[in-house]
Formats: sequence, structure tokens, C-alpha cells
Amino acid sequence: MTERLAIPNLGNYTVALAAMVHGMGAEPWWSTYTSDHAMALGIAAAPESVCLPFKAHLGHFLEADDAGVENALMVNSIGACRLNYYRGMLEDTLRDMGRKIRIFGLGFDGFKPPVFRYFDPPLIPLLRTVFVGLEKIKTIDTIERKTAYTRAREVNTGETTLLMEQCLRELSGIDTREAVRRFHREIDKRFEAVETDSRREPLRIGLIGEVSLLRDRQLNQNLEQILGHQGIEIKNFFVLGGEIGNNFGISMGYRKNTAKYLAAVAKPYLESEVGGHARDSVAHTITCARRGFDAMVHVCPTGCMPEVSIRPILRRISEDMDIPILHLSFDEHTCALGVTTRVEAFLDILQNRRQKGARRAGGRGKG
Amino acid sequence: MKIGLPRAFYYHSYPNLWECFFRRLGQDVLVSPLSTQKTLEMACAQTETENCLPQKLFDGHVLSLIDSVDILFVPRVLSIVRKHNCCPRFGALPDATRAGIARGVPLLTVEINETREPLSKTLVRLAGSLRVDRGTAIRAAREAFEAMERHHREEAQRQQARCHNGRFLLLGHPYTLHDHFIGEPIVQKLKKLQVPLELMTFGDGQRAPGHILWCVFDKMYGKLQNLDRQSYAGVIQISTFHCGADSMMTERFRRMCRQQGVPYMLLMVDEHTGRAGVDTRLEAFVDSLCGRWTDRAQ
Repeated sequence: MTERLAIPNLGNYTVALAAMVHGMGAEPWWSTYTSDHAMALGIAAAPESVCLPFKAHLGHFLEADDAGVENALMVNSIGACRLNYYRGMLEDTLRDMGRKIRIFGLGFDGFKPPVFRYFDPPLIPLLRTVFVGLEKIKTIDTIERKTAYTRAREVNTGETTLLMEQCLRELSGIDTREAVRRFHREIDKRFEAVETDSRREPLRIGLIGEVSLLRDRQLNQNLEQILGHQGIEIKNFFVLGGEIGNNFGISMGYRKNTAKYLAAVAKPYLESEVGGHARDSVAHTITCARRGFDAMVHVCPTGCMPEVSIRPILRRISEDMDIPILHLSFDEHTCALGVTTRVEAFLDILQNRRQKGARRAGGRGKG
Repeated sequence: MKIGLPRAFYYHSYPNLWECFFRRLGQDVLVSPLSTQKTLEMACAQTETENCLPQKLFDGHVLSLIDSVDILFVPRVLSIVRKHNCCPRFGALPDATRAGIARGVPLLTVEINETREPLSKTLVRLAGSLRVDRGTAIRAAREAFEAMERHHREEAQRQQARCHNGRFLLLGHPYTLHDHFIGEPIVQKLKKLQVPLELMTFGDGQRAPGHILWCVFDKMYGKLQNLDRQSYAGVIQISTFHCGADSMMTERFRRMCRQQGVPYMLLMVDEHTGRAGVDTRLEAFVDSLCGRWTDRAQ
């Protein structure tokens, strides 16, 4: 029997990552979100003041260990933020608890990272699955985009979510590049089949902030869905395709998402790299303000080093460019109801603002 | 021109350097007063609630300077040791200060990145932005470095004099250890308890073979690696509330100390810290360890 390899979850993108793990000759153990049980395990085992994503990852791997998974994969980061030390600390904590699971790092580890040395996958099939994975990432980008668009306009609440899940399930079963491409082309048609109210003009909100919170629906209390069901069209600014392009220097067709481009946009407000995705958050806020988004929602774990340190900058942009920003920070005590209440209040203000704006614009037109 | 120097973060990492440098360049320097509870209260009304305690103190120092200086000195400290980096907060510090707490106040800023260029060159560049000629700048930089070296030497001598066996090691960032609000009460309390005490120093150039990228923590790691049970009775780590780096590293340090059999205590300081709590914990730690130490000596 092939050994299993647990991978950290990255929202819907985990589907694509799991496909890549197949290529390494290991059975992937994955989930698109951290489960309640895993969260509880992680919170109990982690030091109290580390950030929420660490607790989620720890819990996820503890759950994997309970399920008898032998190996786990964790990214090695080189940034200035805490993520850099996640893997070492995961290893230490798991060892102290007497767990057997072995943690591999991936990225910036030399030419042949240990995980490849251990599984030693044959090169050609590996590359083939990597290409399938990249294709899947593109497909998931489309699914995400379509979901955000359709969910804001759907007539029967919840239909889009079901369709999205259905699509992801089907996608995870496909294993050739051509089939993924074929599937990609069908997506538009599928989402068009959802009954929508075309007269609706939903508010557009950009979601920025820390990666795990943008992508893990357990951590962000399903923020995308909360907003979507309120009839808001969201744009989630963590796009894995763009991210891979930045880190490995391959173009995935996201020219507006390269580190260089974002740095140039953010320059008037933030001149240097901060760590994590802080500079991206600043850049996206500026772009959204220019493109006429109605508001931004900035999410981060409580005490997130890079994201909290740029908050004064975001506030300033909000004033200068007249775009409201809701700052949400999450820890293990955050509950969905609290988030919903805050979001609802924020949306009320936005609706009001839009009506006033329309009235003002109308008045000016007459004059 | 009167340059304002907040007594926080980089002020403590480079003792004496900034005052000496700017004075040599013919500028007036005003260093903010020692931090107190009041500094913090002033900041808390305006700063981000989720900021770490040292950042709040920094904001307090900035606020206390704003009205009395022409320009504020807030460098972008990306790295103070070659091939290492600092807390990500520092990367955004000048921009965040400009956007938030010190709105409308001119800012003098320079990027300090030892990985890219040595500090002496950075200082000359900084002098250039003040329109000072190169020769003067180089001389000023040299003297500033001498002043800092002198400070480090004196500190090392003081440490040497206190180098008893069975001493306590006080760990923390330069800006928590030497801060009047965070570290000072703890040092005073330990002095009152009459225990030999060693403060972590960062002046020496030695580098640990560790793989920690944060400058300060790499030095602490190096220190803890060579800890021997004969000289050290215990380690007290000062940590501040909401410090992200501490939350990651203290756990590792605790583990290291446990492996070497040296007791370790983590002392978390926050903005509400009542002195009684800290005092009690220090007393208990010292009492239990001193008993143990005398037992071993007999």
C-alpha cells in the first residue's frame, strides 16, 4: 500500500494540490477546510499566543496522525513573518506529543527537496501531474470567479454553493490535462444554468488579507458565503495561479498580479516589502478604489504581524480614496454570528452610501 | 533643524549611535523622555488596538515628540545583522507612522538593510539626504560607531563584573530590556531581590549556527545553546503582549532550556501589567531556584 501524505489546506485549491501529490506516488490526505475537530485539537496543543493559522495547521496534522497518515507536507517560507517557523514548530510540537507523523518541507530547500528524495517519483509522470495540477488551479480560479458572480445574483439561496461543490468534486476525479481543459470550458454553461435575477446590481467588495483566512472557510467563518448570501459580489484577492507565478517565475496569465506590478501600485503608500501579503493588500485596495469597488474587507488572524502593521496605511487609503474598509480579525473565539452581525451592519452602511451617492449623482445630472 | 528621535525600537538597537551621528552633522536632536505608563496611555487612544506593546510605546514616543520637533527620524529597519531580517512590522514602520500617528509631520527616513549594504554606508546616504557633504558624513559616522562601541564595551565590562556563578539571564529584545516601562521594573525588582543578573547583550558580532532568520532571536539562540548549568541558575524571558515573534520563539527557547536543565520562566508584560503580579512571579521563581542552588552547592 502506498504511503499517505497529508497536505495543508488552501481552500478549494487543495483539490489541485492533491492531484499533484498523486504524481509523487503518495496517496494524498486532504480537505478543503479545517474541521471543527481539528481546530479543537490544534487549539489545545498549540502555544496560546501563536496565530490562528498555526493552530489550524497543527490540528489538521494531528487529525491526520490520528487517521494513521505517515507523512505530511508543509511549505517552507522565506518571508519575515511567522509562517517561516511554522514547520520547525510543528515538528517540535508533534514530537513532544509523541506523534509519529513525519513532516516534510517544500520550497527553497535546494534542488531536490527531501520529500522528493523520500518518495523519489519518476520525473516524467511527476511533471505530467504537475501540469494537470496547474491546469486544475486555473479551472478552480474560474469556478471561484463564477461562484462569486452567480451567488450574488441567484434566486434560490444556496444553489450556487451546491453547484460549486459539485464542480469541485467532479474536478478532483479528473486526471488528464485534456479532460480538465474540456471541463474548464463547460463551467460557464453550468453556472449560467443557475437561475439568477439579472436586474440586481450587487455591491462589489474586495476581500484582502492573510492567505489562510481568505481561503479556509473554517477560519473565516465562511465569510465568502455570508457575503454572497447577502447579495454581495466578492472578489477574493488570493489567487493561487498568480501566487505560483510570483514564486516560481512562470506566467499563469495574471499580469495584474505580479509582485513587481503590485509593488509599483502600492509605492505611494508603502515603499517596501513587509512580509506575508501585506503589500498586496495595500496594492489591491488602491486598485479596487480606482476600479470603483464599493468596499473592502480586510481579514487577518489576531495579531498577524504584517497585516496588522499596515492597517494605519489602509485607513489612510480609505480616507484618501473614499473606499470603506472593514477590518476583521479572527481568533479561536470568533464565532460566525459575530462576524455576520458586523458584516450586516457594514452592508447597511454601504447600501445607504450607494443610495445617497445615486441621489447626489442624479441631482448633479439634472443640474 | 531639530530632529526627533523616539526612544523605542531602533533607538535601543543602536545605543548612542543616532544622537552622536546627528549632532556631528550639526543638527539638533531631541530624544523623547523615558517611557512611562503615561506614554502608553497617550498612545492607546490613537494607535491600532492589535499592535504589540513596543509598537504602542513607539507611537506614544512619537506623539510626545510631534509638537516640539521639525522632523521625525523613523528609519526602515529591514535587517541589523547580515543575512538576517527583522520583524515585518519594521518594514512598514515609516509608512504606517506617516499614514497614522504622525500625519502631516515631515519624516526623515532611510532603509537600514545590512544584508544589502553596511550601516556605515547607510549613514552616509542618510547624511546626503540632509544635504551634508560626504567627508563630514563619513567622519560623523565613524564617531557615531565609536560611541556605540564604547557603550557596548562599557556594558560588557559591567556584565563581567557581575559574572557570578548561579546568575540569572534576562532575555528580551533590546527595546524591551532597556525600556523604562517594560524591562526596567523587572531589572529593579531582581536587583532588590539581590540575585546576580545578566542582561542579554547584542553588541558582539558572534553569530549562532542556527537557522533563525530574525536577528535578535538568532543571537538569543546562540546564547542559549552555550548555556551551562554551573553559571546560570535560571533564564527569565521578557515577552510583550501581541509580539508575534515572541509567540513563536519562546516555545523553542523553553524547549532548549529544558534540554539543558536550566529553569526557564516566561514573563508576559502587557499594557495593564500591575506590578504586584510581576513581583510575585519573580519572587517565587527566585526563591525556588535559590533554594535549589544552595542545595546543590552543599
